[in-house]
Amino acid sequence: MSGPDVDLNRVWLVDPVAGREGPGEIVVTDGVLKAVTWLSGAEADGVDATGVVVAPGFIDLHVHLREPGNEDAETVASGLAAAAHGGFTTVCAMPNTTPALDEPSVLARVRSAALASGSPVELLAHGAVTAGRSGETLAAMGELADAGVVGFSDDGSPVRSASILRSALAYAGALGLPIVEHAEDHTLTEGAEMGEGVVATVLGLRGWPVAAEFTAVARGLALLADVVVDVPGARLHLTHVSTGEALDLIRLARARGLPVTCDVTPHHLALSDEWVAGARRFAWDGVDEEGAARDPWADRAIVAGPYASSVRVNPPLRCAKDALACLAALRDGTADAIATDHAPHSDVDKTVEFGQAANGISGIETALGLVLAAVDAEQLTLLRAVEALTTGPAAVLGDRTRRAGVVGLVEGAPADLVVFDRSERWTVTADALASRGKNTPLLGMELSGRVLLTMANGRIAYEAPTPTDGQTRITSRPGTLT
Amino acid sequence: MNVMDGPEAIPEVVVPSVDVAPESQPVGWRHRHLLDVDGLTAADLDLVMRTADAMLEVLTRPITKVPALRGRNVTILFYEASTRTRVSFEVAAKNLSADVVNIAAATSSVTKGESLVDTVRTVEALGAQMLVIRHAVSGAPYLAAEIFGGSVLNGGDGWHAHPTQALLDLYTMRSRLGTGGADLGVAGKKIVILGDVLHSRVARSNIWSLTAAGADLWLCGPATLLRGFEAWAGRGAAAGRRFNVTSDVAAALRDADVVMALRIQRERMASGLLPSMREYAARYGLTAERLRTAHPGALVMHPGPMNEGVEIAADVAAGTQSVITDQVTNGVAIRMALLYLLAGVSHA
Repeated sequence: MSGPDVDLNRVWLVDPVAGREGPGEIVVTDGVLKAVTWLSGAEADGVDATGVVVAPGFIDLHVHLREPGNEDAETVASGLAAAAHGGFTTVCAMPNTTPALDEPSVLARVRSAALASGSPVELLAHGAVTAGRSGETLAAMGELADAGVVGFSDDGSPVRSASILRSALAYAGALGLPIVEHAEDHTLTEGAEMGEGVVATVLGLRGWPVAAEFTAVARGLALLADVVVDVPGARLHLTHVSTGEALDLIRLARARGLPVTCDVTPHHLALSDEWVAGARRFAWDGVDEEGAARDPWADRAIVAGPYASSVRVNPPLRCAKDALACLAALRDGTADAIATDHAPHSDVDKTVEFGQAANGISGIETALGLVLAAVDAEQLTLLRAVEALTTGPAAVLGDRTRRAGVVGLVEGAPADLVVFDRSERWTVTADALASRGKNTPLLGMELSGRVLLTMANGRIAYEAPTPTDGQTRITSRPGTLT
Repeated sequence: MNVMDGPEAIPEVVVPSVDVAPESQPVGWRHRHLLDVDGLTAADLDLVMRTADAMLEVLTRPITKVPALRGRNVTILFYEASTRTRVSFEVAAKNLSADVVNIAAATSSVTKGESLVDTVRTVEALGAQMLVIRHAVSGAPYLAAEIFGGSVLNGGDGWHAHPTQALLDLYTMRSRLGTGGADLGVAGKKIVILGDVLHSRVARSNIWSLTAAGADLWLCGPATLLRGFEAWAGRGAAAGRRFNVTSDVAAALRDADVVMALRIQRERMASGLLPSMREYAARYGLTAERLRTAHPGALVMHPGPMNEGVEIAADVAAGTQSVITDQVTNGVAIRMALLYLLAGVSHA
């Protein structure tokens, strides 16, 4: 089978491994990245970072593919198609399926679905920490490790008890794998509907305290410090951290040398709790000079109806100040990665009363758009944004990706890259999303950075049709498609 | 949702003739639904008050019935137990000659797992033109309004809003404190909402209407039942909607013009928010002794149902300063006014 040929001339290259970005050219021959040329002088004239950008394929540490058990919301095939549409070439599936991914047979089933989908996007998986995610006894961690899981998580919930989490950190540490913790103190969040704060008070919704994340992060860090003394391989990855307070704690722990990493989501860094009231402005547009959240009612920023269940998510959207703290954590390296927490749901679970709606945002296809909005607003540099989508998550995964941790633009390797156009905007519609989950508050909004091409492992995972003739624009020459 | 504007010059209101159908005359009402009071302007409030005046006049007639909504179907869909509000809506709709369908979720297909969306579509298919909905989940009427082809009236949603209650409260204050017409009577008056503010949709809706009407509003209760309101007050002040939040009952009641006590529910003990009913009654109950620190003749209000001897002493509830039964009567007039005004809005 011959691979595709792609020439990309006079584009903006971003290579996070080299820490370099600039004008350049890419040649892919038969699926292999043959040449990466950096342009300078007159050749580079007119090429800048606001047009077509080429970066290594993105890695998502946190997605929900819903198979097995909830195929109405997503399947492995539709989830991988959504990933490719979003520019991701490696995704890590969470184990909160039905049944839970707590033993190798479930992993085998998910992998066979990925194979059958024909998608070249790499599917990795986290195994459950506890059997059936019940919080009671350890899952088959060693067997799962042998079968190739990349971490362990009871995501959707925290590991229920501190003593089980302590054991799990030690056991997984000896296997060389991280515990990926959803940090939430359930005793503080029972019945919670949205982030605690003025918006929740006004809307009469039960608040989700910031302290519920803080105490859970503190628990995890305290146990990690305890375990790592005996088990040097113990590692804790805190996923979808959403509050400035928790990020401050993680910053301190990293400064003290604890082996902790973390990720933040696109929605927590770009959106805020006022979206529940019907505001639709980005977090950085909703703060005053001191960085405190402004009043969306006084600002007349309410442009949509309140209580849209598409903004109901766990952790909840927090106040704008917390979103800015997520961005600051990305800038200073406290946060290693941007992970989408892609959480597709069917209408049956979302078109219900706000307080009864399932938590989650279908986000893998809009992640790049939200991150680029932060770049446009000068909250992040383009290079740092790409790092957080590539080398950052790769470092968390170590050598367990297909690319074995090398996620730069590497000559001679199978092409694994994303091409997007920052000058081209696209409208988020249900039809535009490959995911079965249409549950995003961004429906109807325009995002910049339309993905033109995603190549994974030397094959085309996604290619945008041109708006006029329906032909693909980059590899439209005959014989170049696999 | 729009911010309700502060006190403003009110254009001359045309009070409709309530003896004829609302669509047969020009009425300056543009809201298709009544989901909360936060979207109502001062002119809207004035129109509601004056229309309620006309409805109250109907209630003094020998036959308290006008044909204004004859042939219209008003469906009352309640997902929570209620006597006062449900019956008040029913009486209001019947006084306007509407056909009334009552659905209690406990005896409906909801118990078989039917979703709110399907239930609303079903009642619409069965002929509902106006839908009154009460629901335990905040925001549920907004979902109903998205799919229902007619008008939705919020009969109370979760902790969020109870717009007809806030309007009947304002109407009751206007009747007692105002000089008639556009004077709502509450500007500059010290109005205290006392009790479980946190879980109260009545308090939230009253915050919007009373701050817009220029009242000196105070929220008072145990700190656990006021959480979050201090921050709201801080933001509100910046937006010109000032109110005070305190756990000091003496400071709150001193020279108050209106004291509205809120119901305390037993669940608050189980969830660790209060030690006991006894302690609450001792520290925050509206007693005759406490009421004496308020302005002489201060109005005593309660949205009901009351726990006499807990949040309000029996002698205070039945005393000369109490306007609690006025609230009930005014509730019918206000709901008649709102059904009437909403029925006149074209859905085209």
